[in-house]
Amino acid sequence: MRDQYHDELDAITTSLVDITRLAGSAINRATTALLEADLQEAEAVISGDAAIDQLYADIEARALDLLARQQPVASDLRVLITSLRMVADIERMGDLALHIAKVARRRYPSSAIPPELHATVLEMGQVAQRICAKCSSVIAGRDLHLAAELERDDDVMDDLHRKLFRVLLDDSWQGSIEGAIDVTSCGRYYERFCDHAVSVARRVIYLVTGERVTVDG
Amino acid sequence: MAKRIETVGLSCFYGKTKAVDDVSIAIEPKSVTAFIGPSGCGKSTFLRALNRMHEVIPGARIEGQVLLDDEDIYAPEIDAAAVRRTIGMVFQRPNPFPTMSIYDNVAAGLRLNGVRRRSDLDSAVERSLRGANLWEEVRSRLNKPGAGLSGGQQQRLCIARAIAVEPQVLLMDEPCSSLDPISTLAIEDLIFELKDRYTIVIVTHNMQQAARVSDITAFFTLRGPGEPGYLVESDTTQKIFTNPSEKRTEDYITGRFG
Repeated sequence: MRDQYHDELDAITTSLVDITRLAGSAINRATTALLEADLQEAEAVISGDAAIDQLYADIEARALDLLARQQPVASDLRVLITSLRMVADIERMGDLALHIAKVARRRYPSSAIPPELHATVLEMGQVAQRICAKCSSVIAGRDLHLAAELERDDDVMDDLHRKLFRVLLDDSWQGSIEGAIDVTSCGRYYERFCDHAVSVARRVIYLVTGERVTVDG
Repeated sequence: MAKRIETVGLSCFYGKTKAVDDVSIAIEPKSVTAFIGPSGCGKSTFLRALNRMHEVIPGARIEGQVLLDDEDIYAPEIDAAAVRRTIGMVFQRPNPFPTMSIYDNVAAGLRLNGVRRRSDLDSAVERSLRGANLWEEVRSRLNKPGAGLSGGQQQRLCIARAIAVEPQVLLMDEPCSSLDPISTLAIEDLIFELKDRYTIVIVTHNMQQAARVSDITAFFTLRGPGEPGYLVESDTTQKIFTNPSEKRTEDYITGRFG
């Protein structure tokens, strides 16, 4: 019954997985651009954001159409409402990768990240990418266990973020103010990137259970 | 094959009373067009004018043109019965021929058209019942009366009867208004499948149904009591239900009037 409608609902979830993969690829390439002062990668992330924005608009339009025409209820309604909110989070994740790529481009041919913070930022990039990959699995499989894991993965990111500040605020920091701003900004972008992924995971929990996840802070 | 219908300045009258005023609309083949609007807006009258069922009522007549692939179906040399074979109709209340078996209900139109050979009738009946998603439910009791089926099954039987003679256009006048929600969804699924082969026009009181099943929605209304109905706008169903061009359409679909 109502096969076409249910196919279209499923297709929205598939597109959400696609857009999350695009955001994951963007954060991965932005990290390379940042650490290796790779202008080509930076440009690729910057121009690639249009594809994310396009898919965002497309998902939003399709969800709107289904809301207007199909009178979704119960879990179908939750799929659409959560999809609209998740896609906004994921689009923002793409923007944060874009911001990192722009920092890389601004400092080219130097790297915006001083050697002593290289390892920390590399780890932030890896954690962000891992969280993003997990996020797409959570969306695709509606896996509550994996969704709960994301919260803990995000704690690792928060620790790394704090570590950046410790280095910047330490008396031994020799970098410029400009350099400190770059590091602070990029750290913030990675940290926010993961927060959005956690928010997506929480929405999947709501989608499956119909119950809101309490948000701390 | 599915054909295009176009009306040019079509007005419909019952005696001296004008019921529909000056409607021009193009209905594309292999699509579902829904007519919505408040009671008395002339949408059913307009639908009936599309296959010359309107003129069956004494004193009823039209002005303007109805073109089926550019051929005027009201031209003097055109036979009204032939028009109704080409443009089939399904009514509000399921109306199977009460004394006929399921089989004979579907075969009736074919026999009228001169089909006599049993094997031809058998295959056409099966094809039509399959087309109407009813075959599996009735295949073991084709000789039982059609009136013994449930309301939803009867309506699908009427759809099978209508498509048995392979019309090019299928007009549906509130085909689900006497059905329960599940039978309604079954008919809606069927409409979705049928649009691959037919041009479908459906009149519905239920605007959610129009939103679900149609590609194009046309909104009819009337300016006041006793005034004729007219077409406010016709657009893609997505546009009508997300951002209609006319305020009157917006007011109707959001429940602010009508």
